[in-house]
Amino acid sequence: MSAEAQRPPFWRDVRVLGWFFQLAVFAIVVAIVGILVNNVRVNSANQGIPTGFSFLDQPSSFEIPGNDFRQSQPVRDALVEGVFNTLRVVVAGLVLATLLGVTLGVGRLSGNFLIRTITRVYVETIRNIPLLGLLIFFYIGLVLTAFPRVEDSWIVGSLLVANVRGVTIPWITGSTIAFLVVVAIAAGLAWAVNRWRLQVNERSGEPARGGLWAIPVLVLVGFWGAFFVGNGITTPELDGRSLEGGMTMQPEYFALLLALVIYTSSHIAEIVRGSIQAVPKGQVEAASALALSSWHRLRHVVLPQALRIAVPPIGNQYLNLMKNSSLGFVISYFEITKVTQTTVGNRSPAVPAFLLLIVIYLVLSLIISAGVNVVNRRLQVVER
Amino acid sequence: MSRSERVTDWLKANLFRSTADSIVSVVVGAIALFVLFRIVRFVFVTGRWEIVETNLSLYVTGAWPDAEMWRLVATVLLAAFVSGLIAGFIARSREIEAGVEAVSLSPRARIIELVVRLWPLLLGLALVLALTRTVMPVLLVVSAAVAVVLGRMLGRLLPRRSPPWLAALAVVTLLGVVWLMANGVGLESWGGMLLNIFLAAFSITLCFPLGVMLALGRRSKYPVVRLLSVGYIELFRGAPLIALLLMVDVAIGFFLPQSIVPSSPVRAIIVFILFTAAYMAEVVRGGLQSVPGGQVEAAKALGLSPISTTFRIVLPQALRNVIPAIVGQSISLFKDTTLAGAAMGLADLLNSAQASTAQEQFRGQGLIVESLVFVLFLFWVGAYTMSRESQRLERRLGVGNR
Amino acid sequence: MSDEMMTGSVMSDATQVGGDGEVMIEVSAMDKFFGDFQALKNIDVKVGRREVVVVIGPSGSGKSTLIRCINRLEEHDAGRIIVDGTELSDDVRNIQEIRRETGMVFQQFNLFPHLTVMENITLAPRLVRKLPAAEAEAKAMQLLERVRIPEQADKYPGQLSGGQQQRVAIARSLAMQPKVMLFDEPTSALDPEMINEVLEVMMDLAREGMTMIVVTHEMGFAREVADRVVFMADGQIVEVGTPEHFFTNPQEPRTREFLSQIL
Repeated sequence: MSAEAQRPPFWRDVRVLGWFFQLAVFAIVVAIVGILVNNVRVNSANQGIPTGFSFLDQPSSFEIPGNDFRQSQPVRDALVEGVFNTLRVVVAGLVLATLLGVTLGVGRLSGNFLIRTITRVYVETIRNIPLLGLLIFFYIGLVLTAFPRVEDSWIVGSLLVANVRGVTIPWITGSTIAFLVVVAIAAGLAWAVNRWRLQVNERSGEPARGGLWAIPVLVLVGFWGAFFVGNGITTPELDGRSLEGGMTMQPEYFALLLALVIYTSSHIAEIVRGSIQAVPKGQVEAASALALSSWHRLRHVVLPQALRIAVPPIGNQYLNLMKNSSLGFVISYFEITKVTQTTVGNRSPAVPAFLLLIVIYLVLSLIISAGVNVVNRRLQVVER
Repeated sequence: MSRSERVTDWLKANLFRSTADSIVSVVVGAIALFVLFRIVRFVFVTGRWEIVETNLSLYVTGAWPDAEMWRLVATVLLAAFVSGLIAGFIARSREIEAGVEAVSLSPRARIIELVVRLWPLLLGLALVLALTRTVMPVLLVVSAAVAVVLGRMLGRLLPRRSPPWLAALAVVTLLGVVWLMANGVGLESWGGMLLNIFLAAFSITLCFPLGVMLALGRRSKYPVVRLLSVGYIELFRGAPLIALLLMVDVAIGFFLPQSIVPSSPVRAIIVFILFTAAYMAEVVRGGLQSVPGGQVEAAKALGLSPISTTFRIVLPQALRNVIPAIVGQSISLFKDTTLAGAAMGLADLLNSAQASTAQEQFRGQGLIVESLVFVLFLFWVGAYTMSRESQRLERRLGVGNR
Repeated sequence: MSDEMMTGSVMSDATQVGGDGEVMIEVSAMDKFFGDFQALKNIDVKVGRREVVVVIGPSGSGKSTLIRCINRLEEHDAGRIIVDGTELSDDVRNIQEIRRETGMVFQQFNLFPHLTVMENITLAPRLVRKLPAAEAEAKAMQLLERVRIPEQADKYPGQLSGGQQQRVAIARSLAMQPKVMLFDEPTSALDPEMINEVLEVMMDLAREGMTMIVVTHEMGFAREVADRVVFMADGQIVEVGTPEHFFTNPQEPRTREFLSQIL
């Protein structure tokens, strides 16, 4: 008797059947894609439209408002400009939506009835309205209809000036790169000081108070460093009909940013609330039983666990915000979708242009996912 | 404890716990009161709602001709009856499974319960009815309510083995209703909230088979199938819906033979189905993961075929666990149908609101705020009602307790 | 059965058959790997028709893996498994054949929670054996009476106690009229007061002449019901013998060590 079983006939062999099944699925998918690709080839050839990416080098023959982009520059440059505009709104949106969302989420759990109720009304209203509706409301209803002429601008001290030309806020002057470098150095020093305080705490048991030490370091080093490399602050000043200083956001940019931040923050707030509530009650009780103060309970017991629950869904919201920035096309904010649509309207071939657009979004998605994953992994490690 | 004592205690515990808390309460309260005052004043005093009154039928049913209105009436009644039927059946099955008898409420308690549960929907209906000038809509709403109740009573009497039949009935009803309506008025001429609801309901139903297939594919033991499913899901989840809509709108003529290029609403539906299927797949995958591995092993050990195992054992449990998530997906899709209006120029609710401000008697008066507020309110009613119902369902199904 | 076995002498290997002497299950030179970890090493075992074999051993010794290989819940990597003359190979027909003829009872019951007790029992006969509904239900009622819970037919698994669930699980397996029953620690997830009701049902089965392989920690059951006891450790069969031999005069040091820990 041989030690191995005989192979069954191939039409009853699980392995053969498995491969056959996979091959069949693969063939069907290839066939569908092949038919589509072939149709594109045939239809493009019939209409004399190129299918390659040579259109990238053609002159764009359109202008991008609020920018010195010229019609003679190639489509490639227009797309780069579009990606840049997308990033501008996405990065600002991510930061602001996170700040607002976390604040609102914590507010949902406040002991104060008014705060609890107001944040709840906000969240449950905004979450259930289409983002596009919010965007059109802010753009047509607010910016285009309600914003005053320049001479009648709405002014909030030196902090904010709003009129039909846009919204102006204080900004830094001098080299942005130098400023970022200074901020990075300051943050690094603050981090080091925090580490040092933790070590002191470990050695001597003296309270670490990392934040108490690190934040002044961050502020002082950042402030003086920026001063040293020649950064300053410019505030918007209205003088009759002319507005000087500050940084002006175009109306379209402002409306899109506002809509994205308001909408996304309502979703983040729900995630934050849910994550904090998802930490089992027993955890807080155990911490209280160890006589931890309410701050220590929050800082060392509740938040680390809530954060771990919250990070993946918040990452999803970041992806949504990035993708939702494509709504800018509706109000003619020249982010990448609007640029692509415009260039297709200007005789660029539609299929390659839109495929490129989708690839760009996939790359941006991957970048955000990678960032979220790094944070996620760190949290998991810290947890163990 | 006296009433006033209880009030004081509540205030102390919820508004004036400490000095800082009291200051916050006073400041925030003042601001909130001011905002509330402005809103109330806008709604009842300064808002010029003639534009909404005039265009109410445009918002709700688009340019639907009066002569064909019976088709809509029939649709509403049929949909109401079938959803009542399903709701009644589900309620009864739950009682049987839990081994409890129906709680009989007094009519008054029953009404209070319904008002508390459905207040956004009732508010929306009341507002729309208050703005109409004929009695027909009121009659329609009342008869729809009767249809729901009748359906619910009948649904409780259905035999317990009905779910496949009910699902089939729901799909057949949807298709039949679409046929009934499209036969009278071409899909291209649909508009208003009707179009948004139709796009969402139709796409979520049709994306379901594809979504389930992709979810099963993603968990398949065959690497090729898994890879293709993951590829599809990530591709469609990584790209914005609006880019896909724009692309299909412009480029569908290239992907299909010239002879079968579909009209705009159909293009929108195609995109919604392909797009939502990727998200549905992730929802269903969550459900599949919630089914313990022992279930599949037990089915295998009994000699059930892989297909029987999937359809009789795994999917029924998986889908039951994700019903709330599917409702959530429907809410997203309902809101996203507005994008078809923006990308393909369909006369959906949001576009109708903008279009109405361009009418001769309303042009250039800044009435966009009034029309948008009303239209967004309608969206809110739809989405919030669904979201509340899904939360209720989640609690009642005890998802996570099983 | 030979006299030698009855008197409790040592059996050096597990390939001698008890029961009525006809071989029902034959496992030879079987290996099983999980990645690099070898879960089963060169397993040789035969089970006779109407024989009850109890497999014992420390956790992680490969007992469960062994019986899970016999109905292809795990795929063995080398060697042969033959059940009632059908070889377990990559042949789909053989796999289905063996699964039809082999019932399995799990530690966690694995009843289908969305189906009533009756539906749990009738599902496989109707789908696999193509029985008409009425016949399947009549048969299911008989089985429920046999496991002594006919009154629970219309309840859902979630409404039953653990012991009742496990008895339904046994009835569900029996409904396929299997030639062999595999038990994978059927009482380990039960509260102590429910263990006996399940063991009694299993003893009935053994008395009625079912071929059974039972993985269990219930030494009382092994002593009373088993024709042979197989002791496994580290993926190998260490010692095989009649219960008397096993519990009075074990030969291998590993066996003695294990028995001294649990008895």
